[in-house]
Amino acid sequence: MTAHAFTAPPPAPAAVPVLHVRGLTKTYGMTTALAGVDLDLLAGQSVAIMGASGSGKTTLLHCLAGIVRPSSGSVVLTTSAGRVEVSSLPDGQRSRLRRERLGFVFQEGLLIPELTAVENVAMALMLRGVPRPAAEHHAALWLQYLGLAGMEERRIGQLSGGQAQRVAIARAQVTGAEVVFADEPTGALDSDTSREVMQALLHATVGGGRTLVVVTHDDAVAAQCQRVVRLRDGRVVADTLEEA
Amino acid sequence: MSTTAPGAPATDLAPPPPPQGGRSPVTLQVSWLLARRGSGRSAVLALPVIAFATTTTLLLVVLAGALSFLRWDDDVAALYQALAAFAVVLLVVPLTSLGGAAARLSARRRDDRLATLRLLGATTATVARLTVLEAAAVAASGALVGVGGYLVLGPFVQLIPFRGERIGAAFWLAPWVVACVVVAVTLLAALSAVVGLRQVSISPLGVRRRQDAPRAGWVRAVVGGVVVLAVVLSVQVGYADTAVAIAVILGAFGAGLGVLNLLGPWVVSVLARRQVRRADRPERLLAARSMAQSPKAVWRQISGVVMACFVAVVAGSGVSLASASDQPVSGPEQFLTTDIRTGILITVVATFLMVAASAGVTQAAEVLDRAELYRSLDRLGMPEETMVAAQRRTIMVPLLVVTVGAVALSGALVLPLAGLAVAMAPVSVLVIVGCLVLGVLLVRTGVAASRPVLRGVLAEGRS
Repeated sequence: MTAHAFTAPPPAPAAVPVLHVRGLTKTYGMTTALAGVDLDLLAGQSVAIMGASGSGKTTLLHCLAGIVRPSSGSVVLTTSAGRVEVSSLPDGQRSRLRRERLGFVFQEGLLIPELTAVENVAMALMLRGVPRPAAEHHAALWLQYLGLAGMEERRIGQLSGGQAQRVAIARAQVTGAEVVFADEPTGALDSDTSREVMQALLHATVGGGRTLVVVTHDDAVAAQCQRVVRLRDGRVVADTLEEA
Repeated sequence: MSTTAPGAPATDLAPPPPPQGGRSPVTLQVSWLLARRGSGRSAVLALPVIAFATTTTLLLVVLAGALSFLRWDDDVAALYQALAAFAVVLLVVPLTSLGGAAARLSARRRDDRLATLRLLGATTATVARLTVLEAAAVAASGALVGVGGYLVLGPFVQLIPFRGERIGAAFWLAPWVVACVVVAVTLLAALSAVVGLRQVSISPLGVRRRQDAPRAGWVRAVVGGVVVLAVVLSVQVGYADTAVAIAVILGAFGAGLGVLNLLGPWVVSVLARRQVRRADRPERLLAARSMAQSPKAVWRQISGVVMACFVAVVAGSGVSLASASDQPVSGPEQFLTTDIRTGILITVVATFLMVAASAGVTQAAEVLDRAELYRSLDRLGMPEETMVAAQRRTIMVPLLVVTVGAVALSGALVLPLAGLAVAMAPVSVLVIVGCLVLGVLLVRTGVAASRPVLRGVLAEGRS
């Protein structure tokens, strides 16, 4: 089975804000990266965050995911485990939150080169204490789901850019992460591969009722998302729902 | 009031054509510029300096101890001098490894800038000269700090007794010898940088490592096994002629070392494959795959320990046995066994210190090399402890296996001698074993010393 064959879209998601953001600011010395962002991201929604270089989109993603602590404001994450104010958590608990509830896909994949594809995906489960055989079994199912059957034992260097990104998608989803953050996930890919990877990402996340937040420069990527949030100088300047 | 539009030139006059390129020393100019605009990460700069300083201090101390033996010219003086020279030669291997690690770390620090320079049109040769020059400069700074370490340690090392008297003022080296050591360490760093450059490819788009050479094959294991068998058989035979016996023992020693170096990468790779299959936790899997990826690099770091173990077991057994038997109560030979044991302990500790420094520096270089990957793992929620544990296992597991293996192999080579030593001089043997354990703990401390670098790299991703 490949991710390219889309099944019918899931039922319309309930209007539950999985991420509730209010008055978010982030400053670096004299530089203001975020200048008061208010945002509600709904469960099961795909959201593209766009903006020029330096507009604050990656900082926003890092604040939403608990990677960096905002200077002020709040980020409330609501998952099946309950509500949590992300920015107030200590570092260790934010790490745990990312490990257990969130998923990430980076521009270059940033997979561990010495591990095989299946080990890279299984690592996310092993970090949660899942025994290796079970972790690898589940990881292999995700690789097959994303069209990488037969490539489980390949090293990352033996995969194409698009295949490596699918491994990264599998890693982001293998734990059942309820929100997946993707930072320029197709930035290093050609347009055809980019479209395929984006479809795989949407299928693996929104297709399963999860929320996807994508930071991108690429209009074609944004056009595949249900909602587009545009930033300029650290503020939201446009927030539009794309037509189905 | 100015009417100039934002972004428009302030004057109608276009800038003049660029000046012609001249004969200015490009490497020196650019090196100076990069040195002034150094990396803000102090640990990155400090680590290789500390590594070279440790190298120089240890080298000077060992050399000073060895040269202090030149003040004797009686019957046993030649033996003392030969043994001291042997100890110095043994330390060259870990010293080279440490120098190489420091040089590689020094080069990594400039990776981004070197790639940018290539993009600007600098030739591979210019970039290579820059790297070598900088490695040499860092080494020279470290070596000068190391001279300070030698001066600080000197008063304590002077108290060590040889031949019944403290080394005393004979410990201090002539200034020209110290200068030669500083120059030698600097040249060694430059040479290591040249070797290190052959392992990376600096293109305008970045610096990447070249793939390691193919893995060591089973042929090595077979050759090694045959040599070991031949050596074990040869030392079991009784030799009537003492000269032949000494030649056989020395030959066995050399062959044993050769076999270990031949087998080392293969042993690490077999061990790694085994660990990969058995790994049940993230840090174990990461460490095992890391070892499997570059067994030669892992071996390079720990190979110095093999020599130390060989010396500790072979010479230590002999000395322990000799000390348990009747000793001359007077004359130049009365202190010989005690002094050889002291020399062995110093050599073993110095070796482990160098391996520890080398492990710390190499791990730090590894973290800097893969900073973005470590940051991404942190974002995925991988605990810092897991990353540290993986780093530690990458070195400590093969180190322990190699240490135990080297002790067992060298013990097998001199089995009757080692067995007798354990039976007749257990305390002496225990001291040597304790020294090896201390050495392993030193290496563990060295690996742990790279943690601030990891913490700094992760903190950069969180700010």
